[in-house]
Amino acid sequence: MRSKLKLGRRDALTLAAGATLAATAVASADVALSCWTGYPELVSWYKERGDAYAKDHPGFSLNVLSTTLREHEQKLAAAMPTGTGPDLFDVGLILSVNFIEAGLIKPNPPDIDKQIKSGAYAKVSLDQFTVDGKTYGLPILFSTPALFWNKAYFREAGLTQAPQTFVEVMDYAKKLVKFDNTGKMTRSGISLRLSGQGSGIGEKWRFLLEPAGGSLIAATPSGKWHQNYDNEAGRAATKFYIDAVQVHRVDDPKILHDADAFVSGTTAMLLREAWVIGEIQQKAPNLEYDVAPMPRWTAAAAGPHKTLVGQDGLYVSAKSKNQQAAYDFMKFLTTAESTVLLTQKSGWVGGRTDVDWSPLLKQIPQYAGFVNPPRDMQFYVDPAISPWNEIETKIANQLTTAYVDPNMEDPQKLADFIHKCAMDTDQILKDADMYGPA
Amino acid sequence: MPSAATLSVGRAPARSIGIRLRRIRHRLRIPLFCYIALLPVLALFLYVRIIPIGFGFVLSLYRWNMISPRKPFVGLANYIQLFGDENFIAALKNTTIYSFATVILTTILALPLAVFLSRQSRLSPFYQTIYFLPVITPLIPMSIAWKWIYDYNYGVLNYLLSLVGLPAVPWLTDPSIALWAVILMTVWKQLGYAMVLYLVGLRNIPQEYTEAASIDGATDTQRFWRVTLPLLRPILLYVLVTSSISSFNVFAQVYVMTVGSQTAPGNALRVLVYDIYTNAFQFLHMGYASAEAVMLTMIVLGLTLIQFRAVRTDTAKET
Repeated sequence: MRSKLKLGRRDALTLAAGATLAATAVASADVALSCWTGYPELVSWYKERGDAYAKDHPGFSLNVLSTTLREHEQKLAAAMPTGTGPDLFDVGLILSVNFIEAGLIKPNPPDIDKQIKSGAYAKVSLDQFTVDGKTYGLPILFSTPALFWNKAYFREAGLTQAPQTFVEVMDYAKKLVKFDNTGKMTRSGISLRLSGQGSGIGEKWRFLLEPAGGSLIAATPSGKWHQNYDNEAGRAATKFYIDAVQVHRVDDPKILHDADAFVSGTTAMLLREAWVIGEIQQKAPNLEYDVAPMPRWTAAAAGPHKTLVGQDGLYVSAKSKNQQAAYDFMKFLTTAESTVLLTQKSGWVGGRTDVDWSPLLKQIPQYAGFVNPPRDMQFYVDPAISPWNEIETKIANQLTTAYVDPNMEDPQKLADFIHKCAMDTDQILKDADMYGPA
Repeated sequence: MPSAATLSVGRAPARSIGIRLRRIRHRLRIPLFCYIALLPVLALFLYVRIIPIGFGFVLSLYRWNMISPRKPFVGLANYIQLFGDENFIAALKNTTIYSFATVILTTILALPLAVFLSRQSRLSPFYQTIYFLPVITPLIPMSIAWKWIYDYNYGVLNYLLSLVGLPAVPWLTDPSIALWAVILMTVWKQLGYAMVLYLVGLRNIPQEYTEAASIDGATDTQRFWRVTLPLLRPILLYVLVTSSISSFNVFAQVYVMTVGSQTAPGNALRVLVYDIYTNAFQFLHMGYASAEAVMLTMIVLGLTLIQFRAVRTDTAKET
């Protein structure tokens, strides 16, 4: 009886100890990851993926915070250095390069490094996510612009296919533009980015500058940079915009612009990324449209297809207390299945290139313009240097003035304007100690 | 053993010191209590206001990138760079035009409105409410609403113009009009606030003064310029100072109205706080943005002092 009682106590103590250990183990398995995104349209995808991951990982929970892209960048810039940022976040290379330089993002652990080098991503992605031989983060979006064209308007104007060159773009736009009796434009031939805040204007200008043979900045052999648009390409790209607004009047700053214009039928052509497809599905599902690759600059054989790749990455904060869990969830978010789901849910094209897009293409064939680019398509990227945002934003500011300035029809004034912008760009590089002469 | 007389002589100064200390303690009791009671608020004010302002000044002497760990001391280089910065100069010019225009227009419109509404009338409270409504409506939704009102294609303002056969105006996309469109919206928003303050001032003017002026044969206009306006100057000073400070700090409405792909080109709507915001949070140049903020503080401080001198001195003379 006594011995029984003794054993009972031992049992009770053992059980209590076991229960305590088990409880500790459960508590340590409970992980609440915070995730910040600058794309509100990705929130439902993050949440869905979080729920799916939690099924196999009991105790896992995901808190997603979303704001507009610019606010997201500002929040990250303020929170990351102070250690109050999220465990996991998506952001463009413009900002991630600053975090990498400041040690706020660590190089990828071996399994993530292996994934990015596995061939699942385009070479341009691997190059962009590699800094000094080490990889950082994983591409989540592979965003390229292409030409959206309204098939009904084209048919009405007697045009049968999308323009192949920017010369054709202007010719077609002249046929597609419409005015009312008072001379007020009611439909633009092409919706160009003529005004607005931030670097987007500079980015859209580069859609033409790069095919024309220039670039905003170019690297020197010594690893420094200098402007690369105070040349024929820079003048030609700017002249295209000025001609569109002032000479041929195929676009007007006063008319509705951007995706809203294409969705509402206020423009016949638009150069934009795949997310516009999602907008069309939601707001104008009966719109007759197609997507063509970014036109060449001149006659088909003379110049290459060139398009910008905007790559946003997923990163784990170096100050996160849940790094292991965050990296594991990041791998889950970047599986082929998650990538297709991302595109289906948000309209953005996911970061992997090794996925089977055929079910999606069967459903929405317009995605072909993004996921199956022409074989000779050349991709260019935003240089991963810290003053890039300032360079692109500051030229954007000047371009918007030039587009509507009647003096810019004078070639000399245009050349002077481009020269001045180029000197400003070099000055920003000098201030950042990144300038090297051509 | 000392005598009682010696004792009383020795104790007298000690007693008087004690009495004096008690009196001082008694006199300080209430102020001391007040200061101790205020201490948490003062500490909070120091923490959230004074220290950040001081730290902002320190930042302005550094090349302080928000993310980069390298933050070299550059002395006055940020200030020198400001004077060659086209964006800063454009922002300063726009902000000055905006501030002077809004303050002058608000004052010119609010004062007669207040005089008119100060008269006893059954509809007066109704009109006061109507004019005050924009003040209590949040600025951001109002800015979005005004952006739509100003829309070139679908805006109600251009629709009204079309009813009388006038052509549509590109309110927010024409660089020569855009700033004035924002000024108009701000005047609409601030008018009620200035009007209510003037109304309070007008109602506090003793009727004896105006009655005496009437008995002396003064006309309505003379009564206004010679009696009402001089007595209203403290309120006028308050409205001028607070309106100028808030006008120089304009940001929200400009930010909201320039978001999107249809806004005035270039620097047409760039204002100082927007430029500070861009440099600080977009380009991460905290030091440079702080130098701009210090300049803004100096401008507002200078303007306030000028207003105090111009209006307060005259008030002193009048009284």
